[in-house]
Amino acid sequence: MTRTGRTVLLTVAALAVAMWTAGCATVQPWERARLANPCMVFDYNGGQADFASHWQSAREGSSGGFGVQGGGCGCK
Amino acid sequence: MQVGEREPAPAPRNRWRPLALAGVCVTATALVAAGSLRGENILNIQFHTFQDSRGVTVLEPIVDLDKDFTERSGLRVKFGVDAITAASDSCARCHADGANSQRTFVNVDYRRKIGDYKLDVGGQISRENFYAADTAMVSISRDLNKGNTTIAGGYSFSLNQPQLHPTQSVENQYAHDLFFSVTQTLTKNTILQLAYDYNRVSGYQSSPFLRTRVNDIMVVGNTPDLRSRQAVVVRLRQALPGDTYLQADYRRYFDTWSLASNTFSLGVEHYFKPSLLVGFTYRWYGQTGADFYQPSYTGNPIYYTGDFRLQPFNSGTYTGHVVYTPAHRLLDLLPDKTAIDLQYDRYQASTQFASSMFTLGLRIPL
Amino acid sequence: MQTLSRVFTATGLAAVALLFGLTASPAALDVRGAVAGQQAPALRLPTAEGTYLSLADQKGNVVLVDFWASWCAPCRHAFPAIDQLFVDFRSRGFRVIAVNLDEKRQDAVDFLVARPHGIDVVFDPRGDSARAYGLTGMPSSYLIGRDGTIRYAHAGYTDKVLDAYRLEIERLLSEPAGGEHTR
Repeated sequence: MTRTGRTVLLTVAALAVAMWTAGCATVQPWERARLANPCMVFDYNGGQADFASHWQSAREGSSGGFGVQGGGCGCK
Repeated sequence: MQVGEREPAPAPRNRWRPLALAGVCVTATALVAAGSLRGENILNIQFHTFQDSRGVTVLEPIVDLDKDFTERSGLRVKFGVDAITAASDSCARCHADGANSQRTFVNVDYRRKIGDYKLDVGGQISRENFYAADTAMVSISRDLNKGNTTIAGGYSFSLNQPQLHPTQSVENQYAHDLFFSVTQTLTKNTILQLAYDYNRVSGYQSSPFLRTRVNDIMVVGNTPDLRSRQAVVVRLRQALPGDTYLQADYRRYFDTWSLASNTFSLGVEHYFKPSLLVGFTYRWYGQTGADFYQPSYTGNPIYYTGDFRLQPFNSGTYTGHVVYTPAHRLLDLLPDKTAIDLQYDRYQASTQFASSMFTLGLRIPL
Repeated sequence: MQTLSRVFTATGLAAVALLFGLTASPAALDVRGAVAGQQAPALRLPTAEGTYLSLADQKGNVVLVDFWASWCAPCRHAFPAIDQLFVDFRSRGFRVIAVNLDEKRQDAVDFLVARPHGIDVVFDPRGDSARAYGLTGMPSSYLIGRDGTIRYAHAGYTDKVLDAYRLEIERLLSEPAGGEHTR
């Protein structure tokens, strides 16, 4: 594997471990006031995100990576 | 718009037709929306305009309707039209007076809650003068840990069919895409997302419009038939004191054509009043070239390309946006909490290419 | 190609490990909130005027305890509907205690001032009562019978939930105020 590839994998693995341990500190449903704000939602303006990925793919050689939602207000 | 790639058209088209189509669609969706309304449902109408240093101008109206039908199911329909006036050099060599083009797309997504899982099934159809793309996609997500963790994954398949203008022959390209993401709430003010994307494209991947110089002769490119692409993304959202929010994203991309890139993006948003949100973002992008890319070729190269997307370069994008949610109903007609958003993007690449983009949007809660 | 497949495999393994770790982590297991059949946890919280409202004082009535916050969209939809339930059923012995969980009192006040209401609103910015009831989502509501036990619990709010409330309240109001279940 290339050195860059290894670095990326290690970084991702470290972040994954950090996220797992952070999972032990749960934010309660009633503490989500700021998390409920649209600014905390990934790609809140989905139309804008689509447009950006459209012109980027017409100009740049990379693609993808921007996945699915989570977080937010957690309301049922 | 496929800038510089699929612009030429046999004859200038009526530029107002795409707008009329969009108008019909808006009316139709407004009628649909007049039924029972609740939840996070929204009608989002956007006008994007794009102008670049190659002389290409694009106007793109998009209508995006998102509606829940029951507690467990919903539908999202998107319809958009790119009206492209293309005076770029790849068109100008044959169409001295310039050429217009148009791309139309429809995207439908059906979502359903099944137990603790959310399933999305959808598809998109896109047509323009010399290019057709059909995509089917499915994704699934699940919340864990009282909504603090969301795991998601999905797969999509695309059949893309470029026509080798000016001939009538059509090539096929197949793209498989797989993604996986985890979103974790770390604190009351912090969310982190990790995502991985794997994409595999096979079939025709060159362009009938972009030529390169091989032994001093201009020829259309010849690229490998297979390209496997991977991206790893880390994204952070942080709530700061004083109604301010920070957004930081990083993507590492690499593929089997040896093209690797880094994308960094940093943004700040602030509520000057509850009804007025202003944000600023800077995005830096840098890529290596594909291993077979050269500005011009000599000898007997197996692969050669005139596709500017495969050259090494970097770029910066400055974006400013404003979202205004007036307290009183707009035009006395639109529902409460309708928001207007304006966005301006300025893109500059180290290849001397630059473009400006402007968006005007209306978000209407249903 | 071999490098790529190694990267792919390693990333895939990391993802699987992460998934396993997240689902196996003790925090991932949903703690059950207060459920039907249990005695309702005690509540004693201040109103906007500063007086204290207590659940125990409502023994003999049917009580809807509704946990809400101004930042929660379904809670905002539920508020006027719950106020209407109070108007419709209060004469038969139905009461509502709307527990506000906003950390900033002003956010709640701004919301309430714009919406005249008859229901009693109490404030718990630290969320102690929410913890006692073990909320798993917002909004959460608990219908408590005349004997002080939780009879129905709902997480989330939709039209269907509202219809369910009406049926459940009718059912609970028709029960006599049983005196023997003092716990």
